Amino acid sequence: ILHSRPLHTTQQRSAPLPPLPEKGGEVRHGLIPEEFFQFLYPKTGVTGPYMLGTGLLLYLLSKEIYVINHETVAAACILSIIIYGVKKYGADVAAFADKLNEEKIAKMAAVKNEAIKDLETAIEEEKKEQWRVEGRRYLFDAKRNNIAMLLEANYRERLLMVYNEVKKRLDYQVAMQNLKRQKEQDHMIQWVEKNVIQSITPQQQKESIAKCILDLKALSKSAQAAV
Amino acid sequence: MNLSFFDQFASPSLMGIPLVIIAMMFPTLMLPSQDNRWITNRLSSIQSWLIHMITKQLMIPLNKKGHKWSLILMSLMMLLLSINLLGLLPYTFTPTTQLSMNMALALPLWMATLLTGLRNQPSISLGHLLPEGTPTLLIPALILIETTSLLIRPLALGVRLTANLTAGHLLIQLISTATVALLPSMPTVSILTSLILLLLTMLEIAVAMIQAYVFVLLLSLYLQENI
Repeated sequence: ILHSRPLHTTQQRSAPLPPLPEKGGEVRHGLIPEEFFQFLYPKTGVTGPYMLGTGLLLYLLSKEIYVINHETVAAACILSIIIYGVKKYGADVAAFADKLNEEKIAKMAAVKNEAIKDLETAIEEEKKEQWRVEGRRYLFDAKRNNIAMLLEANYRERLLMVYNEVKKRLDYQVAMQNLKRQKEQDHMIQWVEKNVIQSITPQQQKESIAKCILDLKALSKSAQAAV
Repeated sequence: MNLSFFDQFASPSLMGIPLVIIAMMFPTLMLPSQDNRWITNRLSSIQSWLIHMITKQLMIPLNKKGHKWSLILMSLMMLLLSINLLGLLPYTFTPTTQLSMNMALALPLWMATLLTGLRNQPSISLGHLLPEGTPTLLIPALILIETTSLLIRPLALGVRLTANLTAGHLLIQLISTATVALLPSMPTVSILTSLILLLLTMLEIAVAMIQAYVFVLLLSLYLQENI
């Protein structure tokens, strides 16, 4: 696989190479090009080349220009093996070589087809997106409504909070006042009771008790038990 | 031309001009060289597929540094393969039957692997001279034995290739001579001998390919130890 670039003496062409011919030259009996037969056809007809070949062979053999020796037998063996091999496996090998090339081309074609498919899907997606754009008006309206509702709810929440806070402070003030009044009342009652109890001297106590007994006796006289 | 048994191993020359260089270069000229094409013809496709397959097989056991050897080993493989296979044709000269050529290939390449090992990792390289787990008493003897085996490797590589190919070619020559000699007197035996020749030729085709592969494989193994 040596690139013999260093051995080139002339300028290298970088133009694209001409395409390879589809098939090789026509060949008869695997060796002799068809052009030879066509060349001899006008003068000697169809049997011309064969007569030439046979005549040449017989000439070489009879004049002992080609001597039959042991190499002839060896030649016959190897040539028969080669011809047998080519006839039996030639088509298979050609098909294999074609398959190698086909696989190469198929791989590249697969890449190309993949790319085409991807681009087509992308086009579909894009069209769908364009259709979606037309409906965006409704989308925005719905969004706007949502936001308005959120703002309203937030505002109401805050109102409620303010109301609750103010009520709490007012309740506190009211409770303070009530407490104060209560305390004042209790204190006053206690003070009055204390002073009254203090002011009752023992002599006054005896006089009041005696008066109570006299009153009771008087009452008992009037209120006889209704028996 | 009356061929003796030595003629096929004689260095070819045409009217005093030595042709051995052409004989060595010609087989590789038959292989198509790489073009810039993406899709090549059948022969080029098969050739690149074959070379890819063999390169993967040979280079997988080697580490990254060893992959630098892939070019020379694969070129060597293709050279030996083409030379061996073309030598089976009649009246051809096979350069690999000459010990000089094979030693010229084996000795420098083997020495290269050895020196790479000794330069980059000398203790590991020398450590290969003693297999693991040897009893202490055997160590001196074993080192001597391993050194001998190491030094004999290039000789073995060269002689293996030479001997296999020379023996094969010689056998073909001898059996075909027997076939030709027996043809007038005992045609049946002659036909049997020609059957043997047929089988031998098939063996020779296999041997040609195997020997090329073994040469390169062993070199890659020596490389594995040392790189």
